[in-house]
Amino acid sequence: MPRPSRRPPGSPPHWPRHAIMIVVSFLMLIPFYWVVKTSLTGENIYAYPPRIVPVDPHLFNYVDVWYMIPFARYLLNSVIVTAMAIAGSLLFNVAAGYALTKHFPGRRWVVMLLLSCMLIPFQATIIPAYLITSWLGVLDTWLGVALPLLSTIICIFVFKASFEAVPPSLIDAARVDGLSEWRIVTRILLPLSKSAIATNVILTFIWSWNAFLWPLIAIRTPEMQTLPLGLARFLSVMEDTTGALYAFVVLVLIPGLAIFLMAQKEFIRGLTSGATKG
Amino acid sequence: MQRRQLLKSTAAFSAASVLGAPAIAQASKKITFLTWNLVHLEAPLKGWIAGFIKSRPGVEVEWVDKKGPELPAYYQTQLAANTPPDVIDIQGALGLEYAAQGALLDLTPRLGAEAAVKARYEPAYLSNWVFEDKSYMVPYYVSKTLLFWNKTRFKEAGLDKPPASFDEILAAADKIKGAEKTGLLTLNFDWLYWPLMQMNGVDLLSPDLKKATFNTPKAAEVITKLAEATKSGAVNPISWTGRWVEPNDAFATGNVGMLHAHAPAFFWIKGKGPWINGDTLGAAQMPGNWATPNSHGLGISKGSKNPDLAWDFVKYLTDVEVATAFAKIASVLTGSKEVDKTQLARFQKDDPLAFQVLSTQLEHTDKMCGNWRLGNDSRVKDGFWPEFQSAMLGRKDAKTALGDAERRVSRELRRA
Amino acid sequence: MSWFRRKRTREAALVVCFLLPSLAIFFLYRILPLGWNAWLSVHAWSPLKAAQFIGLEHYEEMLLDDDVFWQALANTLIFIACSPLAIAAALGIALLVNSDLRGAAVYRTIVFLSYPLMTVAVGIIWRWLYDERGGFINYVLRSSRLIDQPVKFLQSFDWALPCVILADFWQVLGFYMIILLTGLQSIPQHLYEAARVDGVPASARFLRITLPLLRPSIFLCIVVGILNSFTSFDLIYVMTNGGPGHATELLITYIYKAGFGQTRFDYAAALTVVQFLLLVVLTVIANRLSGGNAGSLER
Repeated sequence: MPRPSRRPPGSPPHWPRHAIMIVVSFLMLIPFYWVVKTSLTGENIYAYPPRIVPVDPHLFNYVDVWYMIPFARYLLNSVIVTAMAIAGSLLFNVAAGYALTKHFPGRRWVVMLLLSCMLIPFQATIIPAYLITSWLGVLDTWLGVALPLLSTIICIFVFKASFEAVPPSLIDAARVDGLSEWRIVTRILLPLSKSAIATNVILTFIWSWNAFLWPLIAIRTPEMQTLPLGLARFLSVMEDTTGALYAFVVLVLIPGLAIFLMAQKEFIRGLTSGATKG
Repeated sequence: MQRRQLLKSTAAFSAASVLGAPAIAQASKKITFLTWNLVHLEAPLKGWIAGFIKSRPGVEVEWVDKKGPELPAYYQTQLAANTPPDVIDIQGALGLEYAAQGALLDLTPRLGAEAAVKARYEPAYLSNWVFEDKSYMVPYYVSKTLLFWNKTRFKEAGLDKPPASFDEILAAADKIKGAEKTGLLTLNFDWLYWPLMQMNGVDLLSPDLKKATFNTPKAAEVITKLAEATKSGAVNPISWTGRWVEPNDAFATGNVGMLHAHAPAFFWIKGKGPWINGDTLGAAQMPGNWATPNSHGLGISKGSKNPDLAWDFVKYLTDVEVATAFAKIASVLTGSKEVDKTQLARFQKDDPLAFQVLSTQLEHTDKMCGNWRLGNDSRVKDGFWPEFQSAMLGRKDAKTALGDAERRVSRELRRA
Repeated sequence: MSWFRRKRTREAALVVCFLLPSLAIFFLYRILPLGWNAWLSVHAWSPLKAAQFIGLEHYEEMLLDDDVFWQALANTLIFIACSPLAIAAALGIALLVNSDLRGAAVYRTIVFLSYPLMTVAVGIIWRWLYDERGGFINYVLRSSRLIDQPVKFLQSFDWALPCVILADFWQVLGFYMIILLTGLQSIPQHLYEAARVDGVPASARFLRITLPLLRPSIFLCIVVGILNSFTSFDLIYVMTNGGPGHATELLITYIYKAGFGQTRFDYAAALTVVQFLLLVVLTVIANRLSGGNAGSLER
């Protein structure tokens, strides 16, 4: 018995889509491959023509970078700061997103205010942000580094859109049942917003994990440094020295990618569960 | 209901804020030492700091290192927050800018009171950081530009000695250029290329630093010649587009006739170019003995809470014992006469080529250019360099470039 | 009547409580700094001197006397104008991987893989790709005989900006895709089924059902695209530092340079205000184009 096809009868074949996606995937992956290859190859990377496959691959570049830094401590700092940012941002963003689904006077203005906050780049806020964090007394602490990311407007709007897509009949029914507002959020809305939660988690993770300029300013003691800072610190004295730079780049990327790949199963599940919504 | 949630979260966050205790303890006397990209010297530096503390009970020295591009952001933020690092290591004219801002302590009285200390330093390098007749920094490690010439490429072109004039430079570069070869490479950041202009009598500014004086027919002639040489390949275009890695690497391949750079470039290219030895590389002064200095100085922030301790530390870092060790480990000259003499003698014995290179650093210190005592050096530079670069790369002709540059530089000078 | 009033106040209290934490963060880290910038932009100040009110002098200088500003402005607008291309491409990809395609999850992951990277790292990666010696792009172009001599992409006055934009495109494509996917997933399937039963062709299904219901997501993508000219700061810093000349100078890099390079925080503040106003205008336009009210779907 031939395996039944997964597509509804009469719909276009799948293979053109596969073809396009394979090309796209290839293009997206080339930069990764090229950098990994450069970090492993034994050839002179400045000689033309470069080889497609690493020549005499070796791990010396990685050994160099690894031994130069207290990786574990920086990793710990990054993990704590990012965990704080994710936990706090989920709380704040869900609350704000829900509040914005209500129709209250002045809602339009609040939305515009939030949007305009997004238009203020970090580089323009360095000095005031530093002064404010100093006044709050949390400079050089995990909380201080995580603080600016405890709420992000994009995620608020993602939650808002997700909550708005829930049929109002469900919410009304819950209210009739006597559930409090917060319970409505946690019992009804959140379970139906898995993809929004996953989006919030992943985005906050990315922004917090990769943050460079803010931790640079807010952290003083070397032991509190986060991973990007710690690694950048040991980027050799005068910029690049052959493959070592690219080994450094790969090492910077691995933790972020690893955690993302581990978490993205939830993420994908969240997305695909939405597909079965009637 | 929601109030309970709010209380819970507030409690959670108060607890969380305790998790990260601020690490800046309050010692009885504490100074912060900010260095510019010296992270590779962590072990020796910590050793010297330990030596400083040993004889001073109750004293603490916090060491912070930032890379060049990040250091200004860090320093300015600390200034704005009124917690500036006490002792700072700054490269080149940035020290003058901070002095002009009022961020640095005037060291003149202290240098005046301790003549022995003042006499340590090579006067020409010390005077690099004199702004409005006041001394703001002392030399930490110094260098200036020189001409490296590839003897093999020269011999091929039928030349046997380094050029003695601007026209000779261009002629030699023209002879050397070829399929993969170029004649001249220069570094360009921080006015390092200025000797090329100075040797033709082009002055950037009037002696009182109030007027732009570079828009002259002679300057246009020089720029046109350089641009044409760049186009023909006699001058390597990396001179105008690269910063440090690219130009030095290019010279290290052996395909360039001359490199105009400051002494630290020597140690870099030696590492990248196995062909380099006394027979294949020569070190000479540029024609007219003109050179742009590129040095690091030590200064004290005016907002320092322990200026005397900071001054002590500066003296400690530049006294014979520590400075000699520093010079040895970092392979630099320190601008301290005694230390440099020993250092040179050591090189003379161990590495004659390095000796040749480093000797140029202490010769003709009266012919330093490209080091105007400007409080707004980076703005003047931003007004001049893009135009100059455009001319070199053939985007603008010399006259237009000079005119535009004059307009922008004059505006900066007016504002100062 | 009083029951009604109590409900209204309860609802108002709820809204305030729920919004408060977020608003507090934004107040501290966005609004206050913006205010600081606005105040600073009409004064002459440096970290150690007292501020002096000078009115609109900075703005005068910027608009009348500063060609770098105009170039940075033009570059920023070009940068932002390229984002619809990326959004369209992302939409195409999102549609492709949204279906029950086998292995769609793998494709999704691959496309998104570039986003979690530190932008500094992305800049280093692409700088290397464009390198004229060991870079992949020159290698491909030369091997396929399209060019003889290597092209110095990042040092070319003409090519530098497109090259930076391409690197940014690579990084942000996955982000757009995720936003659009989230939007696509929240479109109820029964709408499509009903349309299919009614015999509506695929293109019409796309234009009449998908696009309108994607309005909030598309609006979000547009805003992200506008913001991209900020996050590309690290990219430009690493790849070209605004050069050659000021060919890749964006407003954001110019603001940083004016502040921390030239120590002119007051001028940088004026630039920030101008950039902010520009972006507000662009966002309002984007809002109009996506149907108003942040593109949200009114019930």
